[in-house]
Amino acid sequence: MAGLYLHIPYCKSKCRYCDFVSFADCESMGEYCAALLKEMRLDAAALPKQAYDTVFFGGGTPSILPVGAVAMLTDALRASFEIMPDAEITIEANPGTLNETKLREYRAAGINRLSMGLQSTNDALLETIGRIHRYADFVQNYECARAAGFTNISADLMYGLPGQTVKDHLDAIETLYRLGLNHISAYSLIVEEGTPLYTDVTGGAESLPAEDDVYLMHRRGMEFLETLGYARYEISNYAKPGFASRHNLNYWENGMYLGLGLNSHSAMRINGSWMRFANTERLSDYIMSCNQGIRPLASEPEAIPRAEEMFETVMLGLRKTEGISEAAFRLRFGEEIEDVYPEALKSLATHGWLVRDNGACRLTDEGLDFQNEALLAFLPD
Amino acid sequence: MAYSQDLIRNFCIIAHIDHGKSTLADRMMELTDTVALRDMEAQMLDTMDIERERGITIKATAVRMFYTHTDGKQYMFNLIDTPGHVDFTYEVSRALAACEGAVLVVDATQGIEAQTLANVYLALDNGLEIVPVINKIDLPSADAEHAIREIEDVIGLPAADAPRISAKLGTNVNEVLAQIVELVPPPAGRADVPLRALIFDSIYDNYKGALSYVRVKEGTVRAGMRIRSMATGREFEVTEVGVFTPALKPTDELSTGEVGYVSASIKSVSETKVGDTITDADNPAAEPLPGYKQANPMVFCGIYPADGADYESLRDALDKLVLNDASLSYEPETSMALGFGFRCGFLGLLHMEIIQERLEREFDLDLVTTAPSVIYKVRKNDGTELTVDNPSNLPDPSEIQSMEEPMVEAHIMTPSDYVGAIMELCQEKRGVFRDMKYIEENRVNILYELPLNEIIYDFFDQLKSRSRGYASFDYELKEYVQSDLVKLDFLLNGDMCDALSTIVHRDKAYAKGRAVAEKLQEVIPRQQFEIPIQAAIGGKIIARETVRAVRKDVLAKCYGGDITRKKKLLEKQKEGKKRMRQIGTVSLPSEAFMSVLRIN
Repeated sequence: MAGLYLHIPYCKSKCRYCDFVSFADCESMGEYCAALLKEMRLDAAALPKQAYDTVFFGGGTPSILPVGAVAMLTDALRASFEIMPDAEITIEANPGTLNETKLREYRAAGINRLSMGLQSTNDALLETIGRIHRYADFVQNYECARAAGFTNISADLMYGLPGQTVKDHLDAIETLYRLGLNHISAYSLIVEEGTPLYTDVTGGAESLPAEDDVYLMHRRGMEFLETLGYARYEISNYAKPGFASRHNLNYWENGMYLGLGLNSHSAMRINGSWMRFANTERLSDYIMSCNQGIRPLASEPEAIPRAEEMFETVMLGLRKTEGISEAAFRLRFGEEIEDVYPEALKSLATHGWLVRDNGACRLTDEGLDFQNEALLAFLPD
Repeated sequence: MAYSQDLIRNFCIIAHIDHGKSTLADRMMELTDTVALRDMEAQMLDTMDIERERGITIKATAVRMFYTHTDGKQYMFNLIDTPGHVDFTYEVSRALAACEGAVLVVDATQGIEAQTLANVYLALDNGLEIVPVINKIDLPSADAEHAIREIEDVIGLPAADAPRISAKLGTNVNEVLAQIVELVPPPAGRADVPLRALIFDSIYDNYKGALSYVRVKEGTVRAGMRIRSMATGREFEVTEVGVFTPALKPTDELSTGEVGYVSASIKSVSETKVGDTITDADNPAAEPLPGYKQANPMVFCGIYPADGADYESLRDALDKLVLNDASLSYEPETSMALGFGFRCGFLGLLHMEIIQERLEREFDLDLVTTAPSVIYKVRKNDGTELTVDNPSNLPDPSEIQSMEEPMVEAHIMTPSDYVGAIMELCQEKRGVFRDMKYIEENRVNILYELPLNEIIYDFFDQLKSRSRGYASFDYELKEYVQSDLVKLDFLLNGDMCDALSTIVHRDKAYAKGRAVAEKLQEVIPRQQFEIPIQAAIGGKIIARETVRAVRKDVLAKCYGGDITRKKKLLEKQKEGKKRMRQIGTVSLPSEAFMSVLRIN
């Protein structure tokens, strides 16, 4: 498996909880897209040939791009890289930036999966967290997408929002179920320092739900989603059968991926070494470097030592409910996982956090709640 | 050729912290061309980083200067720079015993402080001639006449002729030099009798081994002589004698009245103890000089490496420090909570702080220290007696008939505005009021008897904060008295944590137990289960707090761009966890052990 990621660092306005680099000023968008095209050619020439199984337009807000841009980028991708005919091609969309024309363009460009940043079905909560759309925008665009031929649509939900109740969260899940969403990501809100929401919360303008309530949102939300037929396949991701995100699963399999665009990350095996590298996070450097015909890397690619590659494989694999395939581990490293981590497997199993069944090591529900703590057992003392 | 005894002046400088002792010494060295101006740096005699930063002197040092007086004669000055802190009173008294005079520096803006007074009395006890000097006359708030009146009233010394100086600017420092010649008597002592030299300090030199700093009282010492320690009877061959310029400079001999160092291939400073007398092994003196005593530690605490793997490094560091500090004691101990470490004994609180700081800075160690303890005397029901400096070693309460704790006599000098606040503090600390004297209209000297175990926590900080920094404090150890003491234990999730135990007075146990439990509740990170914290006396629980369980510890999102960062976060989390101590099922950070100390 191999994935291609394209980063679009623009947003109409910044959400109050967001601490990512994104630009609300779209003036440089044209220059940025031109630079992206150049990077595609530079990377294609520099890196080993590879057929890609998935493509993901992420952001930021890729749907902010003007009509025509996504089709142009998709064409260029196909020109520089081999994209498998049955590839899963996803675009992230903000319900406030979509319209019928764009949706038809995406379909025509071969995009077959839509990931909508809904976050909440409650307009008051959407306002609190600074989203530009309202629930009605989402419904309208969702219907349009279905009409345009999208059969694989996901929505993001957040829980633990200021003023949110357990009932709000369960209601949102039920609403999405009734609309017929194929996939739901449910993220617990993290209030990052330096964001406007952080100021609101620490200043007392907003108050977060009690910790026990947030925990209930998580537990009862999970149970409800599973009752409704959305199987939890990763810590925050739920899907109807056959609709798990292949692109994201590839990250959790510690598979190879190439990131294009500002501050995007890549991982792949080059000349036998497992390498990670990232692009610069400065927009002007990115554009200038691509224009000069130099790959816009932030630093030299880093070779990941074998022991760390093993830990990454565990760290990512244990996010999945089905866990790490012991056969895949053996195939990749030529060693049994239980020979590499005998202590960790034993102590976590004793703790009731880890089970080994069906040829895999996986965390239990409780283990998943304490995944950080569980992973520490796999780090050297 | 021996320097004429009449032309020698041996003196020290007595001053409160920040009153300008080191600056005055710097100026004297400049005026006598002892140190070339270009080599001058501030606080020339304080060579340790901690001394310079804190503005204090920890080790005694000395310097020889030559001064040409108005009578045209050249005098040899030996200035002995002494520590001024109460912890080092014994060292100070020996340094004073090596002098005939003391320059008393009083800050014209502040007047006399408690420590200064204590040291002046010490100097008078040793028969020293006092040369009062009023410093900082350049400051706008200086009131030299007031400071002079205070010296006359409080100490009873005539001070009308005291030089009014500014050590900082160098103003009138010449007068001080002149008065040293005129007021300080030359050393007595006969040159034609067997050698008797007083050791007033010792240091460890990487090249020369342990060096004894001596004042030759009688006779002469020179290289090649066999000398004998009159305290231990051990004999050494002198390899070198010399003087302080202030750098070490070898000379042929040190004769009667002179101050210098003796090197005799002595391995550790513990073999050349402060207060000891050295004599000629082949022609020994009959009696040692008076005043030798062993300096005994008064305050104890456990010192453990934050990372158990650093135990060996900690031992090496202590081995090195003790080469230079014979008053530091340590022996290995183990704690269930903290693993392998050392029980260390100190002269006092400052001494303890300095050693901890030096271990951390000079040896780059991360330490966990337990609450300080004093030595308690325990009488058991079966009639046996024992001393306890570690709460863990206290016998079961059912075996104890009675306990005694050490008391100190504390002198506190303060502006009268703060008398109420200070008496309240002393009362809280189980103090017994003894006396109060007005030194002048608005300055008071208060005398309290206090248990040492109350002083070793936060007494000094409290005194400073309740008097806005104006009160000063000095104490000396008195006798042991019987006291109703109990051992206060803390249980975490039902498991006792030995490193948190302390011995306290029964009346204070309840409040202290509750305060520490609250503090622990703040500093113990939440874990996956609820952690009850209990304070207990014997088997009885007197306070309880709970650290709530954490419900989730997982990163909500982890996609392609998050992997490297996530890995780093986990490595950091692991590092933090490694530094935690495991008490039964509970992980405890180092701060938890300090929390017992920082309770008001």
